[in-house]
Amino acid sequence: MSGEFHVSLPAKLSAVRGLAEMVEEFGDANRLSPSKVYMINLALEELITNTVSYGLEGVIDPQIGIGMHVRDGVLAVTVVDNGHPFDATQDTNPDLSSPIDERPIGGLGLHLVKVFADRIAYEYAEGRNCLTLEHDLASGDA
Amino acid sequence: MEIQVTEDRAGEVLVLSPVGRLDSANATAFEAVVMNHVRGGERRLVIDFGSLDFISSSGMRVLLIAAKTLRTNKGTLVLCSMKDHIAEVFQISGFSQIIPIKDSRAEALAASA
Repeated sequence: MSGEFHVSLPAKLSAVRGLAEMVEEFGDANRLSPSKVYMINLALEELITNTVSYGLEGVIDPQIGIGMHVRDGVLAVTVVDNGHPFDATQDTNPDLSSPIDERPIGGLGLHLVKVFADRIAYEYAEGRNCLTLEHDLASGDA
Repeated sequence: MEIQVTEDRAGEVLVLSPVGRLDSANATAFEAVVMNHVRGGERRLVIDFGSLDFISSSGMRVLLIAAKTLRTNKGTLVLCSMKDHIAEVFQISGFSQIIPIKDSRAEALAASA
């Protein structure tokens, strides 16, 4: 697998399983560290889960496309879907410090995506959500 | 989707070891396994991460539900044997402060006694 990668996924939660293997191959081909590959898989799992569970609900002919490339030391991951408009870049303000009794259940997924992404951009155009994450690869890791 | 969970007992402590991946595809199945034990009266639970390669927020949600319920029941939940990537995610998520995480199963059992 080369420095570029595109795949369409079925709109179901189990779709991330096959994707995870492809991400690992992509990581090997681009010499990404296991830690980076893990965080990419985690970010994709969180985004695809949101899209499948909420974004594509009731959508006829649901579609999800994933793109990845490494260019000039930057890893870019793009998720495109034809679901309801949803801007994942909006502030989610997850509660990461309350004691256990007050800790809310949920709200963590998008936070994990944002921890990984050095830059995140969202656009809704022609009936499609397009979310792009960029992650700066440290020297020696690209 | 199913998840394989190995179960071991050490005295009053029940040790559950999920295998492989715990994500949105099988979090519901894992929740059923864990919460059946909790509702069945188990009060000392250890979840051994030694055979777990990946966990997403869907899986972490199950741990938080179990920890909260066990606390209400005056029980304990202790996690152990996490791989580095997973331990890092638990740090980032602020879970390490609310659910005890031990390096080994032996330490987790000692903490559950």
